[in-house]
Amino acid sequence: MVCVVAALVCLDARPVIAGGQEPELRPQAAGTGQGAARPQRSTRDFLGLGAAPDEAAAKLGEPLFQANCSACHGAAARGGTGPNLVRSVLVLHDEKGEEIGPVIKAGRPQGGMPAFTSLTDVQIYDIAEYLHLQVELAANRGLYKHSDTMTSGDVEKGKAFFAANCVSCHSATGDLAGVGKRFSQPSAMLARIAWPSARGPRQATVTTPAGEMVKGTLVKYDDFETTLKAGTGAVTSWPTATIKVEIPDKLAGHRALLPKYSDDDLHNLTRYLMTLQ
Amino acid sequence: MTPTLLRICVCVLLAPAALMAQGAKGSAADASAGLDPKALSLFHATGDSWPTYNGDYSGRRFSELKQINATNLNQLKNAWTYKITGVGPQRGAGSPMIKSTPLMVNGVLYFTIPDHVFAVDARSGKELWRYDFVDKGGHLLGQRGVGMFGRWIYFLSPDGWFLSLDATTGKEHWRKKIADEKLQYFTTMAAFIVKNHVILGVGGDAMDVRGYLESRDPETGELQWRWWSEPLKMGDAGSETWPNQGALDHGGGMTWMPGTYDPELNLMYWGTGNPNPVYAGQGRKGANLFTNSVVALNPDTGKLVWYFQANPHDTHDWDDVETPVLFDTVVDGKPRKLLAQAGRCGFYFLLDRVTGKNLVTKPFSKTANWAKGIDAKGQPIPDTDKEPKVDGSMVDIPVNGATNWPAPSYSPLTKLFYVNASEGYGVAYLYDTAAEPQGFGGGGSGGFDTKSALLAIDAMTGKVKWRHEPKGEGAEGGGMAGGVLTTAGNLLFTGDSNRLAAFSPADGKILWSQVLESRVSNGPSTWMLDGKQYVIVGAGDSLYAMVLGGK
Repeated sequence: MVCVVAALVCLDARPVIAGGQEPELRPQAAGTGQGAARPQRSTRDFLGLGAAPDEAAAKLGEPLFQANCSACHGAAARGGTGPNLVRSVLVLHDEKGEEIGPVIKAGRPQGGMPAFTSLTDVQIYDIAEYLHLQVELAANRGLYKHSDTMTSGDVEKGKAFFAANCVSCHSATGDLAGVGKRFSQPSAMLARIAWPSARGPRQATVTTPAGEMVKGTLVKYDDFETTLKAGTGAVTSWPTATIKVEIPDKLAGHRALLPKYSDDDLHNLTRYLMTLQ
Repeated sequence: MTPTLLRICVCVLLAPAALMAQGAKGSAADASAGLDPKALSLFHATGDSWPTYNGDYSGRRFSELKQINATNLNQLKNAWTYKITGVGPQRGAGSPMIKSTPLMVNGVLYFTIPDHVFAVDARSGKELWRYDFVDKGGHLLGQRGVGMFGRWIYFLSPDGWFLSLDATTGKEHWRKKIADEKLQYFTTMAAFIVKNHVILGVGGDAMDVRGYLESRDPETGELQWRWWSEPLKMGDAGSETWPNQGALDHGGGMTWMPGTYDPELNLMYWGTGNPNPVYAGQGRKGANLFTNSVVALNPDTGKLVWYFQANPHDTHDWDDVETPVLFDTVVDGKPRKLLAQAGRCGFYFLLDRVTGKNLVTKPFSKTANWAKGIDAKGQPIPDTDKEPKVDGSMVDIPVNGATNWPAPSYSPLTKLFYVNASEGYGVAYLYDTAAEPQGFGGGGSGGFDTKSALLAIDAMTGKVKWRHEPKGEGAEGGGMAGGVLTTAGNLLFTGDSNRLAAFSPADGKILWSQVLESRVSNGPSTWMLDGKQYVIVGAGDSLYAMVLGGK
């Protein structure tokens, strides 16, 4: 199921929400080889994070937090002279201010925290939701976003790499004209450069046991069974061991480059191709 | 009253369902007999049970059984299928998926999915009882199964409850809280039994908490000891690999897979998970002991005896929890006690399990270029230039690692170590650039040229002797799946596409396969009952039992 996510990542360049415990033994996903797709799931559900923070309240709570709390607990509640509240056991146990509220109201005199008696219950709720949102932003990796800008990479070096390695198949004024418009996010462009795999069924030529050659689209292909939909619409299955299957390797050039790229090469190329507007 | 009759009476009193499932020939499932502690051995000897997650303490997943072998494989057919019912899509994780390896004790199979335990008659596949838990959080990503001690079954709920169930009835005996799901701990492990210790590990790396492993009393559930994955405080051994107390306190290192155990040395071997924050390592400069390590612990005290760190200062979420497989061999005329592991970081390691001394460190998935070399202790040296970057950093290991929890196997007949592996390229991104980041702090993307393969690794050299690269890609149905089992019948069982397949362990030739409704989702296992050898495998929501001649 993580594979589903990984596949999507290539297309929209969002981070993988890979569960640390999940295997990925296949490049793509979906259960059974019978086309069963898994339901889309949210990272929040997956992580069991419970109820989502009240974002409207969190918005109201932010200025209250900055005015009353940030001097000690830090601008993003990650700690200063006072403790980090994002990793606080009390905050993580709190649902809607019932644990946080009493501490704000009474303070922690022995720890040097004053009582905030003027804050209303509603304001305390808003502050609590602001803290829950900070927890959410750290813990819910489904919300992480790739950068829209780059911090590294050199256009000229990317252009030189392109001229040396890519021009036998690609042209900046031909097939890649305007590619920067289609992949405006650097991570999406990088993925496209490294491995522009089409996610649809592959074309293949099958040499049948009788020696006949059939061209078509692979419906199923594994170690045991091959099913091909021919151009005529005819669907035929064979035991894989009895036939020869040839699949044009459209990505041979990209595959050959994968072990050669340095990160700088990839960043330079990404920078350069993003200039092709 | 004969013992058998007595047992039947107990069944009547305690478990009408169990009685109803009994066969007419007196070969009934009889959970009340409990587990004989002698069944727990270093190398699985008797074959008439499968009493732990890995079958024995070694984690070899090699069975001496050979009733099923290359000469009669074509008669191996499905005897029964048990399909889980009454469980809808599991929160955030989709349809129920059996990742546990069933225990088989006294003719009863015990297996799990998150929140649910099932006891099934091993002969017929008929359900004897089920236990349904209602969680209040935690991941429902996986559940590896149960542990057994006497007549008690031990189960971990997703939200950190440690439960003792009556093996005869499935009734809850007691429960103890062992992990706080509000701090993002979750629990999926199959309880591991050593003497009078129930060993339990934890998972969870979303919120930067400390990993730990604990031992509890099998009768009362009370804590006996707890071992933390990081030194407790600065100044303690290993703390020199951390910058400060705050980093130690939030350093991760989860312990979510069952370990292995050598009774003669009285040492338990455990793999630990990645450090936290996961992808953002700038706030935890140093090797981050004892995360991503194989640790040897005394099971009576929880004291660390030795460690070997597989991927120091990990920044790729590559837990080193893969089974530390124990095997014995003779080297230069001397008997050696060894430990082998294929790590998620792409290296195969061979260690002396008495001392922890490294004998082999070798990549099994491309070049594992996150490492720039190997140090004097045999540990890979991470390349700082391959840590996650804001603009991405590519490594020649797939995002989710070169392998994962599905069980490997070692066959003493071939002296090969078998593992389902992944090859390909992934890009690691850094999101949280703060000096002291929090949470995952980054992520991986890009399944570039990723494919699976069944590898047969020469256990003494780490060289890949043969590899089976399955035909097809995921969309077309190909790919390796699940764990590996080898047998003295000269067979290797694992998942390939939507089938259970048998391979020749010597050369990787496919000998046999059986279509299943889903891809194999656990590690296959085998045992004898009434003179018949069974092969058991979980695939999606169903458990399949195969014997020669089928039913």
